[in-house]
Amino acid sequence: MSIGTGHRLILVREQDAQHSGSGCCGRLGEAHTDLGGAADYAHSRAVMESVGMVYRRLRDAAPGLVIDVVDPRNTIWLYPAVWRASRRAGRGVGASLKSLSRAGAAAAIVLDGEVLYSGALPAPETIVAAVMAQLHDSRAA
Amino acid sequence: MPAFYLIVITLGAFYLGYRFYSRYLAERVYALDPNFKTPSHEFSDGVDFVPTNKHILLGHHFTAVAGAAPIVGPAIAVYWGWLPAIAWVILGTIFGAGVHDFGAIVTSARNRGQNIGTLSGKVISARASTLFLLIIFFLLTLVNAVFGVVMAILFEAHPGSVIPAVIVIPIAMCIGQWVYRMKGAVLIPSIIGLILLYAAIPIGQMYPIHVDGLAHLVGLSVRTTWVILIFAYTWFASRLPVWLLLQPRDYINGQQLLVALAVIFAGVIVGWDQITAPAVNHVAEGTRQWFPYLFITIACGAISGFHSLVASGTTSKQIDKETDARYIGYCGALGEGSLALAAILACTAGLGSAADWNTAYSSFGAASGGALGHFVNGVGHFLANLGIDAQLGASFAVVVVVTFAGTTMDTGVRLQRYILEEIAELAGFRALVGKTTILTTLAVLIPLALALVPGGNGAGGKGFAFGQLWTLFGTTNQLTAGLALSVISVWVMSRNRNPLAAIVPLTFLLFMTSWALVLNLVSFLKEGSWMLLIMDAGIAVLTAWLIVEAVTALNRQRGERRAEVPSEA
Repeated sequence: MSIGTGHRLILVREQDAQHSGSGCCGRLGEAHTDLGGAADYAHSRAVMESVGMVYRRLRDAAPGLVIDVVDPRNTIWLYPAVWRASRRAGRGVGASLKSLSRAGAAAAIVLDGEVLYSGALPAPETIVAAVMAQLHDSRAA
Repeated sequence: MPAFYLIVITLGAFYLGYRFYSRYLAERVYALDPNFKTPSHEFSDGVDFVPTNKHILLGHHFTAVAGAAPIVGPAIAVYWGWLPAIAWVILGTIFGAGVHDFGAIVTSARNRGQNIGTLSGKVISARASTLFLLIIFFLLTLVNAVFGVVMAILFEAHPGSVIPAVIVIPIAMCIGQWVYRMKGAVLIPSIIGLILLYAAIPIGQMYPIHVDGLAHLVGLSVRTTWVILIFAYTWFASRLPVWLLLQPRDYINGQQLLVALAVIFAGVIVGWDQITAPAVNHVAEGTRQWFPYLFITIACGAISGFHSLVASGTTSKQIDKETDARYIGYCGALGEGSLALAAILACTAGLGSAADWNTAYSSFGAASGGALGHFVNGVGHFLANLGIDAQLGASFAVVVVVTFAGTTMDTGVRLQRYILEEIAELAGFRALVGKTTILTTLAVLIPLALALVPGGNGAGGKGFAFGQLWTLFGTTNQLTAGLALSVISVWVMSRNRNPLAAIVPLTFLLFMTSWALVLNLVSFLKEGSWMLLIMDAGIAVLTAWLIVEAVTALNRQRGERRAEVPSEA
């Protein structure tokens, strides 16, 4: 069984599709940044690329791990998923509520319903190491 | 008839459309292959190209395409009766939007996730990229103009909603600081923000904001004063960093959308309201008839070209399996149709008796100028069914529409600035490139001038030509859909599949659009509405151009098929 099998990682970060808000009449998709909007969203792009590095490294290091990349505005999917995963992992209601409150950030790392990082993310290698350590711990247990 | 029956009929039709027609599209037209390596796998980088669970991606796709436009169009179009409006929403969604949104994802995914602008240049002709840019220029100009008027109409009619609508700005800025500067989680702040926003509604009722004094001082009407104030706000808002206002506003908008949909449907079911609007409203000869105007009045909610920009811009890069495109693209279209259904319910079952409805929709001018007011009052009525004061309910609906419209204008002016810069560069006006202040001013002044065009049926004959502007917006949106459907049709033909499912809505849209444009030209010429005439003539030229490009591309593809040179994308 490959590393990560049976575990689910949610990488929370903003998506291009959600950037300009307000529904379809204010969006040009990729054409938007082609036309010169890239600088406006540079801060979000930097987070996207940093989380992208985490994604690529973990995909290689833990092939069995299910990785979902979700925008924090996707409330209908994100919060029920964190709640279910947290409860399934055996955490209590209080701890699960705490996970919910921290999961929806501009950037967050959630492993099996537990929020490892929320808001300011450390360097990608630190995140990868933390996730791998958790996976090894749960394997050993 | 109880309004609830309309919910059952529409959602039932949507279910059948998904169950059978989308399967036909998936298997026979787009010939989806579960083993096809999608761009998300081929170029997987965890940034733009990410294989994404289809339920997550539907959430992203739907929130990207849903907005205020599916509310305005149906709220005007029920003028011709509820039956034509709901029939076009159902048929347009199932046979138009579903094909279009679903097809845009698949075509883009089969072309390395390229967006529809790039694809039109590649699949149709190099000139089509310029055509795309010009259509988008017209589209954004009209979006900004109509939403500016929408907000002005609502503020004038519901001065109690000004305070909550304005309160959104500091709330969003605080959330922006918290999320992007202090790196905090957003769930609790956005819930607190929403509570503060709703708490401001009764305060707004107690202290309604009127601009009559200012209007009198500058010698303008109240509505004109509001339009100018709103565009002035937009000039400043579109110059702010996006993280400070625009992005955090969307955290509030997304939650508002869900709350609004939930209360409308709950209010209809609890109140068991009857539809009091006529099934078909036979309007006087010589006035706007539902054929062809219905099909450009309801664009978003039946079929919207803007969706192809989202579908091909981002969604296509994230589908895990090609077969997921059916669920995401088609269900996204059905979701937008459900928003249109909510607007139709509010404007046909929420306005009181048949006599009340007849007064509200006495003419096309009254229907278009008052459309948002009718929607707002309808939602207020549904909230009253749930035990909430109707006035507060109406203010709630105003706040929902205004927050969406305000964010749309903020984005629209930014996008228009980029497009003006692009056009200036193409046209060789290098002096404009990089001049943000001048470009923003132009991006504000063009739609402002259009928004202030007189006409319609306002008080004392001093209303705005909102209805005409809205149908021009619908026309341009349908043109964008036409461009995307042309790309989809050519691509389907290139795979030796029957393209009729895409060609039929394409032909229908271009026919109705051309017909309405010609009628408008005659009407604007008679009225001497020169600004609208120029706008209409410009869109008519783009339509003729698109028809020529589409026919040429389809003929070229047919020739290639006959020469038996099949090509798999």
